[in-house]
Amino acid sequence: MDQLIHLFPGLGSFLIDEPAVSATRLGLIIFGMVLAYYGFKRTLEPLIMVPMGVGMVAINCAVLFFENGTLGNIILNPLVSDPAELVNVMQINFLQPIYNLTFSNGLIACLVFMGIGAMSDISFFLVRPWGSIIVAIFAELGTFATLVIALNCGLTPGEAAAIGTIGGADGPMVLFTSLILAKEMFVPISIIAYLYLSLTYVGYPYIVKLLIPAKYRGIETEFDMPEVSRRKKFVFVLVTNTVLCLLLPVAAPLIMSFFLGMLIKEAEIEPLHDLLVGPILYGSTFFLGLLLGTLCEARTILDPKVGILLVLGILALAISAVGALFGGWVIYYFSKRTYNPVIGIAGVSCTPTTAKIAQKIAMEENPYCMIMPLAMGASISGIIVSAIATGVFVSTIGLLNP
Amino acid sequence: MNGLTYALMAYGLTAAISLAVVGLIVFINRIMRDRTPTASEQE
Repeated sequence: MDQLIHLFPGLGSFLIDEPAVSATRLGLIIFGMVLAYYGFKRTLEPLIMVPMGVGMVAINCAVLFFENGTLGNIILNPLVSDPAELVNVMQINFLQPIYNLTFSNGLIACLVFMGIGAMSDISFFLVRPWGSIIVAIFAELGTFATLVIALNCGLTPGEAAAIGTIGGADGPMVLFTSLILAKEMFVPISIIAYLYLSLTYVGYPYIVKLLIPAKYRGIETEFDMPEVSRRKKFVFVLVTNTVLCLLLPVAAPLIMSFFLGMLIKEAEIEPLHDLLVGPILYGSTFFLGLLLGTLCEARTILDPKVGILLVLGILALAISAVGALFGGWVIYYFSKRTYNPVIGIAGVSCTPTTAKIAQKIAMEENPYCMIMPLAMGASISGIIVSAIATGVFVSTIGLLNP
Repeated sequence: MNGLTYALMAYGLTAAISLAVVGLIVFINRIMRDRTPTASEQE
């Protein structure tokens, strides 16, 4: 029997490991397969979910025995901190270099942000700048409400802030915040964030339909698409980047990455633009998904805090959706009922998913209703406000009593 | 500082900075529009 266990360590380790760990491993293998399949079916975001699901399956299957009798894998070990050991491990674990050099320092989140920036157009924001930013501010309600709830659930200030940022619905932002404020919990927080964010396309339409009666959903909102010169857009982005980097140095890597992408787009530097929206965005999204999956080891998930994080994560997104729609109603009343309150949902910055949701719901009630430019404006505002909230958290969390 | 006070302070600060950024963009928009050369100046 012992020989058999050592001959097939992936299977044999199930018998040797603690029952709770073995059961969780089995559960994660099945869960990983489900994620990959639903990614294939496009129910979940395939760009993240297929690599994440495969990574989750592999890390929980490929368990083997090391010479000292311990169990481990040759894919990734996120707990190595000793420099000499790290150099050694990097030569064995194939994902270790990518993890240590791009993931654990937040670089991968910044690369994703460069790509998103290069796809964003500030013209949408300029259609209705005040309305867009107010909606986006309301859409951060979930972030701050969840912070308070999380603190009352016994999480540390850093963990509470990191789980709260899921309310901003911005994956790279959550990853970045949790890496800085809750290093020991960033794996479950990031996984929960990406998992829930891929579910917004399924869940948010229900919240919108619940809070906005059908007769308001098809309201046609008049707007003029401003003709903004490239020079002007370039100056806007450059100045905004400068001001935000000055105000929030701790969030500067993310802020700079996002606005750099936008600047390259406005400067029409085609080779760099193509690089950002193609290989960099897709490459970093792929490795982000794969690394998140391989970080889903049974022992990480068995942390008792994970259950609380699962509830808080979905709560953050739900409260943000409610806040965003409330913001939509506020603008509706202040604009003499000429604003479609459905646009509010786009303030939750999950670009461009929430903007697409707003447009789809509006068109279900009124096929001639075109709110996409306004929704994209709210969505871009959401990214800016999320970055500001992240910067505020990282800069001021020390004020909070542990 | 307790949790609720901190959350309100942080939310207020986020809102204030966000509004200031938009104010700045709108201000720049106005200045740059004002400085756009007229047709006679272009001639």
